[in-house]
Amino acid sequence: MSYSPSEQMYRARVLETRLQAMCDSGELGADLHMCMGQEAIAAGVCAALGPKDMLLCHHRMIGWSLARGVPMEILVKELLGGPMGEMHFRAPEYGFAHSFQLVGTVVPVAAGVAWALKQRGEGGIAVAVFGEAATANGQWHEGVNIAAVMGLPLLLVCENNGLAGNVRSEHYLPSSTVAKRAQGYGMAAGVVDGNRLEVVQQIAMGSVKYVREHSAPFFLECTTARLGKHKQGMGDIRTREEMAGLWANEPLLRVQISDARKMGIAVEVAEIVNRALDKRIPATV
Amino acid sequence: MESLTLTKPSPFARNRLLRDASWQAVYDAMKTDAQVHVFGEGAQVKSHFDAPKIESDFPERVHTMPIAEDGGVNFAVGAALMGYKPIYDVISADFLFRAMDSIVNTAAKLEGHTIVIRAETLIGGPTTGQRPEAMFAHIPGLNVVIPSTPHDAYGLMAVALQHEGVTLFIEDRMVEDSGPWLDGDLQTGELVPMGSIGVRWLPMKSKARKTPLVTVLTYGVMRQRVERLLAPWLESWGGDYLVEPNLSVDLLALRSIYPLDMNYLKNGRYGLHRTQKLLIIEPDIVTGGVGAEIAARVAEEMPDVRVKRLGAPRRTIPAAPSEHHVMFPSEEDIRDVILSF
Repeated sequence: MSYSPSEQMYRARVLETRLQAMCDSGELGADLHMCMGQEAIAAGVCAALGPKDMLLCHHRMIGWSLARGVPMEILVKELLGGPMGEMHFRAPEYGFAHSFQLVGTVVPVAAGVAWALKQRGEGGIAVAVFGEAATANGQWHEGVNIAAVMGLPLLLVCENNGLAGNVRSEHYLPSSTVAKRAQGYGMAAGVVDGNRLEVVQQIAMGSVKYVREHSAPFFLECTTARLGKHKQGMGDIRTREEMAGLWANEPLLRVQISDARKMGIAVEVAEIVNRALDKRIPATV
Repeated sequence: MESLTLTKPSPFARNRLLRDASWQAVYDAMKTDAQVHVFGEGAQVKSHFDAPKIESDFPERVHTMPIAEDGGVNFAVGAALMGYKPIYDVISADFLFRAMDSIVNTAAKLEGHTIVIRAETLIGGPTTGQRPEAMFAHIPGLNVVIPSTPHDAYGLMAVALQHEGVTLFIEDRMVEDSGPWLDGDLQTGELVPMGSIGVRWLPMKSKARKTPLVTVLTYGVMRQRVERLLAPWLESWGGDYLVEPNLSVDLLALRSIYPLDMNYLKNGRYGLHRTQKLLIIEPDIVTGGVGAEIAARVAEEMPDVRVKRLGAPRRTIPAAPSEHHVMFPSEEDIRDVILSF
């Protein structure tokens, strides 16, 4: 079954809602990082990608892997205790090369993937997805520099949610936008509202076209807000009022999905998770 | 030795035999495997001087990278994920510490991908000449290879490029071209399995002593230094006149720190069962080092074997060349320990 970008957002939301409930009840002991609130970026960018492109992602990867086309069964199996887990996930046959736990690693590895795709000469590009906090890390800078000097077909997608865990960006981001940092490496860059699917998708189409045609990196900063906590077992510094404001601006409010498709997705998620739970080795604490 | 890669004067001309053999293996691999590429800071300049055959035949497979060891190794991981076989040259083994994160947290966690990370050791000062082999041998997912002959350098590089895994290929630049070499040491072309142990000197037949006194296990530059020390003593053996009547050793050399053929060390033809005495001579700091692991395993698995270690003190490498000798066991140290068993 194929899904529209807005349906991919909804799939991620329904799956994460179920997994979050399982984590909250203690049924699931996994250390999951939910992307709730950021789904439009994954859906919009992945809608602009082709089958020869390779995506690499940070650890907040549920929305990204689904939007890229990884079957939910494969993803859920890993999330519920597979050998790779969410933070070392690989599904290259679906154009999802790797997810990474460690902040910043994704950029130089994606540069290597972009180099390989350029060598192949089949027109594929690499996509590196990271948060704005990763731009404080040396790996980010080394990777961006390599991509710039080598002229690699790499789309750099920054999900700017203004938080590193529970730390606000004033503690790690000295510039008004992250895109300014990329411009320092001589690359073209843009900033979009990452909570508007149609905007992300439209700009991503242009960005991907630019990267493919110029064989050069492009930096796409998408502003957004994380609606869940950073990860399991961790509190949230934000007030109820602040969260209410963020929920009022959340991306799913702006997309239309038919009730029939919503129902179908709810059934899909329930069946896949329940099937995976039946096969799962009991969690140990 | 047959002519290898070096055909023009090089700024890195000394100790060329080991390096030439490593490059020869890279060149031979490139001829049959289009996925083999070389990356590194100054890689094209280096190949111009050190591997002109690669520069002329495969110029598109040598890539000059920014000085960014950590990002560079992660870059190599990306290339490997796509099926390439990157050789990433970080140049100095001290620089491996700058790439600790990408090697340990990224590359070592891969499965089924070939990456060779190449570095050399040369003693020079506090951050020139540190030895990383024991630290990296601790990490699952990494092979740590240190050839000390051209034959082994060729064979180990060739095997590393066929192996679906991550290999740290550390070239001991202190191994000198002047030898001594055994028959075959200068021949290249054979594969050398990682983990195998090289059998070096064996006691000459003697009326005075039929069995060796001690098994000496060493690697890297110390292999050559121990051989130089022992050679005149062993050569004087076999007649009526013995310079050192009590000196008689089996000399074994590690080719890799991990993997390591412990079974051979214990039970092989020239294993510890012959002597029940093991002296480990390492070119590295003894504390927490390569010898510590081997000694512990021998103690656990062959409790009757007596073990001693010789190596460097746990101190920062002095910058003064006149002080470098403190980082290696002296001839007197080695002789005294052998005779003290």
